[in-house]
Amino acid sequence: MLSLWLRRLSTDRIVRSRDSFPSPRAAGRGEERAPLVVTGKRGNVEVLTAVDEAASRLGLSPGLTLAQARAMHPGIDAVAEDIEADTALLESIADWCLRYTPLVACDAPDGLLLDISGCSHLYGGERALVADLNGRLEHAGFAYSFAIAGTIGAAWAAAHYGKPGGHACGEERTLLAPLPLSALRIPPVTAASLARVGLKRIGDVLDLPRAPLTARFGSDVLRQLDRALGHEHEPLTPRLPVAPYVAEQRFAEPIAREDDILMVARRLARRLQLALERRGVGARRIELTLFRTDGMVRRIAAGTSRPLRDPDDIRGLFVERLAALADAFDPGFGFDMARLSVIVAEPCPPQQIGIGGGEDETELCRLIDRLSARLGARRVQRLTAQDSHIPEAAEAALPAQAVNGDAGWTAFRRYREETALSPRPLRLLTRPEPIEAVAEVPDGPPLRFRWRRALHEVVAAEGPERIEGAWWSEHGGPARDYFRVEDKSGLRFWLFRAGLYRDLVPGDPAPAWFLHGTFA
Amino acid sequence: MGLVMNAQLRQHLLALQGTTRTAPGIENGFGVLPAVLPLGIAAIDTMLGGGLMRGALHEIAAPAEAHSAAATGFALGIAASWPGLSQPSTSCLLTLPEVVDARHKVYARAGWRPDPGAGHDGRRIVWIAEEMARAESGAPHGAGLDAFGLAPERLLTVTVSHRRDLLWGMEEALRCRAVNVVIGEMRPGKIDEIAVRRLSLAAGEGGALALLLRAAPAADSSTAATRWIVGTASSVIAHGPGAPRIAAHLVRNRRGPTGSWILEWSDSDERFVLATHAQPVAAPAFDRPHRQVA
Repeated sequence: MLSLWLRRLSTDRIVRSRDSFPSPRAAGRGEERAPLVVTGKRGNVEVLTAVDEAASRLGLSPGLTLAQARAMHPGIDAVAEDIEADTALLESIADWCLRYTPLVACDAPDGLLLDISGCSHLYGGERALVADLNGRLEHAGFAYSFAIAGTIGAAWAAAHYGKPGGHACGEERTLLAPLPLSALRIPPVTAASLARVGLKRIGDVLDLPRAPLTARFGSDVLRQLDRALGHEHEPLTPRLPVAPYVAEQRFAEPIAREDDILMVARRLARRLQLALERRGVGARRIELTLFRTDGMVRRIAAGTSRPLRDPDDIRGLFVERLAALADAFDPGFGFDMARLSVIVAEPCPPQQIGIGGGEDETELCRLIDRLSARLGARRVQRLTAQDSHIPEAAEAALPAQAVNGDAGWTAFRRYREETALSPRPLRLLTRPEPIEAVAEVPDGPPLRFRWRRALHEVVAAEGPERIEGAWWSEHGGPARDYFRVEDKSGLRFWLFRAGLYRDLVPGDPAPAWFLHGTFA
Repeated sequence: MGLVMNAQLRQHLLALQGTTRTAPGIENGFGVLPAVLPLGIAAIDTMLGGGLMRGALHEIAAPAEAHSAAATGFALGIAASWPGLSQPSTSCLLTLPEVVDARHKVYARAGWRPDPGAGHDGRRIVWIAEEMARAESGAPHGAGLDAFGLAPERLLTVTVSHRRDLLWGMEEALRCRAVNVVIGEMRPGKIDEIAVRRLSLAAGEGGALALLLRAAPAADSSTAATRWIVGTASSVIAHGPGAPRIAAHLVRNRRGPTGSWILEWSDSDERFVLATHAQPVAAPAFDRPHRQVA
């Protein structure tokens, strides 16, 4: 377990955004710049929430009010805090850390936890991994400290309070003993009350009897201690779902051309194909993660309408995704690592190549996937019959990748036969449009109406077909009387009156008319 | 590799059955389809030289935006007339489409309706529409489509925000062997000539029918095989609106004369028929052989 603490995240972010060339020397030039502090409102007071290296040397620390800080050092440079930007930065660093392990968790507000067990050998051991991490973070201009230990608790404690770069696996006890109790991630109140009775270091509580300690200070202290020592399991919640199938490749020279990226995607897909075949599954959602040399991480995901494992098909999806991204896909100085992960896998029964039949389905799925990858899955839809009698709710257009089978239309046909459903329009407006209508009161069809500024004289009408609103719901709406009307020029419309004159309470406005659809 | 072998195998089996290629035909992987799609209306089919040419682009425009439902209805009527026998059997792969067609009619007359969800040779329709066109004229309504003989489960609807995506999507769909009819719906406006030519070529490759549904008639030149202007016509009124009627004007025909007809939707046949008691709006201008061809 590796705990990474970016101790000056907010100030580093501001310095990086001001300085177009962040470099290790930036810290050295700190003297020339005014000490930087970040302030935020706590209660009614403007207080310091973060300070940079120079400011902390002047004796400023988070928690001090801005007024006091200004009184001590009038020359400080105060910037308002921006928690969202800090979170975004932390998340982008977390994404970047995906190059080391897929299990990266954000330890808000300014830390990261990386589960590197089983991953370090890819870098040639933990020390090599640490060296790589060191080099890259230093280059990016962050102040940081980290530690590796067997448990989350111990790594965290060592990163925040121990000597930086600590490395203790299996020696958690000796590592923790000299550290202050607040390193156990317990509430400050508890730490303070422990300090009042003379328990200041973790070593002080290690061998104390457990029962009295729990009785007096609550179960938190011992639970955290157990977790840090590895007696109790502490789960790590990764920021991103961990893909069950992953293939990755690093490049000696960064790649930037689209063709190269697609070729790599295909090669990685070919590697995954074996693993997928062995398990008898196919991919339903695939993600291509590209690590840019400057630390940006680009994730491109594509969904499929059937379990897929053919490398050419997978490459085809990314062709469309890249085409859809167009200029937004900015390779910069190139990518130095690519990873293809299958996020959702589904069983994929082996299929025989038929003389006809199956191929057609496959072709159609391929088309749906391509269209969805380019235009977005929500724009490629199939109509499904729903269990409702209200026209706009009676059917729903759902992403084609998620719909299979007859989508409820067989049941709908049976229902239509049984109820002798009156004609339905060919096209239904997304929402009924209000019209000005002159109609016979109470139940007559409209004689003439105005829709989209054009006047229509009704020459024939059929109806009413009464459709009750959803009376069981508060927002069900009134009952509707639908009419099929034809105007002088032969246009046929589906109109309705929302509400009945019968139910009208004196003083209420008369029921309104709407146009809902058009017939051929 | 597998596909090539399959195609060869089919050819071989066709040869064994003693059937020959009906010229001109389109090989779509399931044997040879006739090159035209008959509308089933003799007056129109003769003018079109047997029916709407497959593997070609056809433009259907509404005279005004209010008439777009009629134009949609006409396009869907054409799409629904695509012969599709949904009984999955090996014989239907290898029999000539005429036979399939005849059997289909027999089934229909017997009142048996093939389950459109089953089988592999059913009609596949892709309807690509511009976002604004859909907002303006309404989204396809499954219950209404079903009454038009078009099973909603066979339909794939695609919404695009740009015209170039519309053309790209149509081209992709036309190149897909599993798709029979591609309908592209667009708002009034110009369309790139080269893109239209590409559509025609893509349709020719796959043998599918490409229908371009326009909200207003356009004057631009195009490579479309036929051009229609389709609006609504008053129905015969008796206790409410009668069977839907449309006025179809064939304004451009690469293979013959043009004409105008009033068509009526026949619920029993599930297709458009020539409206009874209705005279043609104008006498068809028969082709004059001495006429100079531009």
